[in-house]
Amino acid sequence: MNAEKQTTLQKKIVERYANIVDNVQSFDEAINRPLKQSFRINSLKGDSEKILSNLRKYDETIECTDWYNNGFTTKLENLGSSIEHFTGQIYIQELTSMMPALVTPDINESKRVIDCCAAPGSKTTQIAEMMQNKGEIIANDNKHSRLKSLRGNLDRLGITNTTVTLRDFRSFPNTEADIYFVDAPCSSEGTIRKKNTIRRNLKENDYNRFSRTQKGILERTCEMAKKGDQIIYSTCTFAPEENEKVVNSILQNHSVKLKNVNIKNLTIGKGITHWKGETYDKEIEKCGRIWPHHNDTDGFFITRIEKC
Amino acid sequence: MLKLLDKDKTALLIEYCVERFGMSKEVFEEYQLYEGSKNKIYMIKELINLRFIPESSGLCIFRFDKTPKPTTNFLQLFGSKIKINVLDISKANLIEYCKGHDLEINVKKNNIEPGFIAIRYKKSVVGCAHWNKKIVKNQLPKSKRCKINYS
Repeated sequence: MNAEKQTTLQKKIVERYANIVDNVQSFDEAINRPLKQSFRINSLKGDSEKILSNLRKYDETIECTDWYNNGFTTKLENLGSSIEHFTGQIYIQELTSMMPALVTPDINESKRVIDCCAAPGSKTTQIAEMMQNKGEIIANDNKHSRLKSLRGNLDRLGITNTTVTLRDFRSFPNTEADIYFVDAPCSSEGTIRKKNTIRRNLKENDYNRFSRTQKGILERTCEMAKKGDQIIYSTCTFAPEENEKVVNSILQNHSVKLKNVNIKNLTIGKGITHWKGETYDKEIEKCGRIWPHHNDTDGFFITRIEKC
Repeated sequence: MLKLLDKDKTALLIEYCVERFGMSKEVFEEYQLYEGSKNKIYMIKELINLRFIPESSGLCIFRFDKTPKPTTNFLQLFGSKIKINVLDISKANLIEYCKGHDLEINVKKNNIEPGFIAIRYKKSVVGCAHWNKKIVKNQLPKSKRCKINYS
């Protein structure tokens, strides 16, 4: 996408969300600033301190985030061409993408986790590492072409506890699990700080189209989940049609409740309860909005749902 | 579809790892081995019982052709357990290896026997090669080949 088109998109995003963001100018400035590359260390492949020490030989400015002791940023743009990346000692991952696992309680070896829209495997591999390659993960995606990257990342990171499935999750057969991750396909507006990720101007129909799919996937997880199971819903878009509205629909039609999302030292905005003439349940405020200007990240949305 | 690897083949594979790479049998203790299509062997603690056939389970660790052939993933993951038939290479050789090139190295002084070997750089095993007394033949899959800028 050329620079002019990118700037137009940024302006449209600022205009669309001016009424729900706390500081329009900061938001505007943030989405016009490039993002640093970020990564996570894979402790399954070696001692984290040693790996970090090696990486600091390439870039001594590598920094750990305040809110995740395994989330790092670097000034390098091509850490993917390091031997550490080649051997699966690190995973290049957006900081926001690391958040769903962090808001989930008790990810451990006694659990079975389903990652409903897993490709390319950022969260799957992070969860597998948190589980120390124990327990069970089912990593699902609905496109064969996306499974190649998922499989490649699982192999590269040495993940042994994951089963890969190829299904449209809306029709996934009943399968028991303790935790479900739904990082749904979305309009990806939150990735605006990266080059060439949003391909075209989004129309209102696009938001509705995405939200139908998101709702379908989330409904299936609610049907499958049993009392006490956790469902973590996330998107990388700012659009309430794909975020609060979808969650509100689930809240109204299923026996679930929302839990607060907290990550220490991370600024998380509340979910909004009004958008384009519609009003949502007050509980929706428990959803989390990650605005780019709050923590110098992508945009993100995250909710923790518990089956009742 | 995966089926549990029979006892004989399991014993053969473990014996190969012990004799060829000096690994301990304990590496395999927590896992079960399964055989899939194209003679591929997968390692997973326990197969999940699903109502349909999954695309894959666990990690592909070997191919059971005429002789067992370890995968890059297996050697990288258990690299610290490998004691013999491992070749330490220089930065220049690493760059060539990751591009997929064969290596012309004198391995005789390294006490390495002909057959599959682990390639190691700065204490980390990076992949698999085959030593035939003349050349170190690269066994890196095409999909993994890349240019290394930082090492």
